[in-house]
Amino acid sequence: MSTDSAFKLNDIKLRPHRIFGGIKPPAFKSSSMRSRIMPSPIPERLILSLRQHQGSAALPLVNVGDMVLKYQLIAAADQESALNLHAPTSGKIVAIESALIPSQLQQSEMCIHLQPDNKDNAIALNEISDYRAKTNADLVALVKQAGICGLGGAGYPTANKLKASIDIEAELLIINAAECEPYITADEALLREFAKEVVSGAEILQKICLASRCIIAIEKNKKEAVSALAAALNNSSISLVQLPAKYPAGGEKQIVQGVTGLEVPSGGYPPDIGVLVQNVGTAYAVHQAIVEGKPCISRITTLTGAPLQTPKNFSVLIGTPVSFLFEVCGIEEEQLTGAIVGGSIMGVELADLQAPVVKTTNCLIAKSTQEFPEAGKEQACIRCGFCADVCPAKLLPQQLYAYARSCNRDELESHGLFDCIECGACAYVCPSNIPLVQYYRASKQSFAKQLKQEEKSLYWQSRFQTHQYRLKKNQEDKLSQRKTKKNQAEV
Amino acid sequence: MTEALAKSSPMQLGKLKTQHIMLLVIAALLPGISVATWFFGWGLIINIGLACCFAISCEALALYVQKKPIKAALNDNSAIVTAFLFAITIPPGSTWWLVLFGIAFAILIAKHAYGGLGQNPFNPAMCGYLFLLLTFPLQMTSWHIPIEQGTLSPIGWEGFKQSILAVFPFLFASAESMVTTIDGMTMATPLIVSKMAGTNALLEANEAGLALFLRSSETGWELMNIAYMLGGLSLLAFGIIRWHIPLSIIVTVAVVSTLFYSPNSSAVFGTPYLHLFGSATMVGAFFIATDPVSAATTTKGRIFYGIIIGLSIYGIRVWGSYLDSIAIAVLFGNFCAPIFDYYCRPRVYGHTKRSLFARVTGSKP
Repeated sequence: MSTDSAFKLNDIKLRPHRIFGGIKPPAFKSSSMRSRIMPSPIPERLILSLRQHQGSAALPLVNVGDMVLKYQLIAAADQESALNLHAPTSGKIVAIESALIPSQLQQSEMCIHLQPDNKDNAIALNEISDYRAKTNADLVALVKQAGICGLGGAGYPTANKLKASIDIEAELLIINAAECEPYITADEALLREFAKEVVSGAEILQKICLASRCIIAIEKNKKEAVSALAAALNNSSISLVQLPAKYPAGGEKQIVQGVTGLEVPSGGYPPDIGVLVQNVGTAYAVHQAIVEGKPCISRITTLTGAPLQTPKNFSVLIGTPVSFLFEVCGIEEEQLTGAIVGGSIMGVELADLQAPVVKTTNCLIAKSTQEFPEAGKEQACIRCGFCADVCPAKLLPQQLYAYARSCNRDELESHGLFDCIECGACAYVCPSNIPLVQYYRASKQSFAKQLKQEEKSLYWQSRFQTHQYRLKKNQEDKLSQRKTKKNQAEV
Repeated sequence: MTEALAKSSPMQLGKLKTQHIMLLVIAALLPGISVATWFFGWGLIINIGLACCFAISCEALALYVQKKPIKAALNDNSAIVTAFLFAITIPPGSTWWLVLFGIAFAILIAKHAYGGLGQNPFNPAMCGYLFLLLTFPLQMTSWHIPIEQGTLSPIGWEGFKQSILAVFPFLFASAESMVTTIDGMTMATPLIVSKMAGTNALLEANEAGLALFLRSSETGWELMNIAYMLGGLSLLAFGIIRWHIPLSIIVTVAVVSTLFYSPNSSAVFGTPYLHLFGSATMVGAFFIATDPVSAATTTKGRIFYGIIIGLSIYGIRVWGSYLDSIAIAVLFGNFCAPIFDYYCRPRVYGHTKRSLFARVTGSKP
């Protein structure tokens, strides 16, 4: 690509840059890295949510009682933000009803309940011998068909992301392998064993999004993954950047800063500065979808925590209940106090262990009081400023906290509440046990509510005014009509 | 907040808590307190003990009156830190009622009348100190050192007895014995000496042979300041305080006192060394000005805050009518801190830099 490209990213040296703030919590990663990735056994029932991510739900294509085959499309994305859903194994659809799924809001979703027949009969797959012969539009369609979403956490549909980056002509593709959060080792394990496939996926993604450069960013303390990647990257145009280990170096905005030194504009996304960020798990899924023709029916999930006898990474079928995975790992029930979905910092508490794995579930932590003691009582903020030192967005969490408590909307906005990425570094270091992230979330939600109400009241106000105007006009018309009639009568 | 929100991230938390921070601050004070006791006697230790008792009682009373949980709030150790800071700034061996008045003002008025820990705009210990300085100026400007048979004996048994009697005068057998003992124990601080010399002009300065201004006459003050400085540096090393406030205060005091110092002129301002090590500057810079609740909380704001305090320390000492000025200077810094914080916000990730003019006038960039 020429040097006078729209974003001028080609002159930028890709090397580790300093990111703002950050913390270095104990990582607890070694226990789940001891064994290789294991394919998880097929459970008695798979619960497949129609909404695997923060988007709209897919439309089910099967009825209760239908027999389905492995890789068969069972729910289709009829909307832009929905994801295709495929049967992870062969079996019978036994119910389509709502069930709790792991997510931020602990909500229930409509789910397809699949009872496996343990035969694992699959439909024929369309393997593509040379993806390079395909057009980009075809490849995007294949990615969309495979139902792939960002497997790092947020779960934005990959096809949509690719389309957007084609539109803006992205110049740099960053494959995010930082995995900075404690406990999670899914990406690290994946790279250790499937580095070649990941690189192949990255090359496909680079071809699709037309980026002139592609790099894989990883924390440098992941020695085995780094050496596996370095070996796989021989004879590849893709380069490797080793970042210092720091949470949240793997956040989307942070990895852009950590690799390019540039910042994503406030309220924007990496494509706004010509960068596309994809997770390594996503790259692997893309490789599987394009080269092997396999839709996204499984993912690599870390199972860890003190109550598990053999913590490890599983290649787990989407829809497998969490409790089943815990049992496979050998759970010590008396130690178990609950489960966390995600890492120990941004993860959320799982309300029900029967909840299934979804496409964005990268880690499941079995909780114990020894590892996760009850948080101390919230104390007064002493304005020590530790939070401001670690904030990766360079906010002043102590000031935001004070304004959040007094519901001062103007100051919250001018202090950058909406630039908060909710990484939780501030709450991690807070010596007074203040759940800062929750204050910010609550403020954001109340703002959204307030804004909606304001819009609503403006709408009704304008309706009322038009109504008044119409009444007045009608009356005037009637009067004038009467007058003319009167005049006519007089004449 | 809803329950669902209250249960969310982060699940893993750091280990350093408020009560640990407070204990570390006290631990960092100990070297300085030991040196001060070695040179100035048991009065300081007795005062600290007394101040802690009064502070805990006052805190408990304030919490009780406000119907707040007493035990949980006392556990944060913040009242004890206030007591320590207050006790090391007042003259050692101060009378019990002096300590009581000061602590009561600090805890009840300066801290709890504003809403308790985290809400007080001014440093409580310094409010207590200033309250005493304004109401009991005589008692607050004389330092007592125990004397045994005509020589200084700060930590001997006799000294201990005298310190006890100084703190609890009602234990004296008669009013007569009280007068003689107290008389023998009063001395001036190096700053007072320097200031008196300044007002008495050149003659006295010459008489003292200028040595007075080249170096503090009391090694006790020097060593005490060095000990407090080391304690403060250990707080820096532990990451309890940041370097911005102490460094900007010390640099400001050093620079200003160097600028105004001229050894041969009649205007006697004291050497930079006297200002840094012959007074309470180190305690002020490392322990008092860094009280996070009342200090500036942004990085740039902390530097301005330190500069304001450094300038005030020097200005009040040299041109003001008070002898030492840490309390007034810190309170002055406290007044300015919110403004500094408001206008010294760091540039948020993904935002373009706004000029100071734009920030002050509120115009969009």
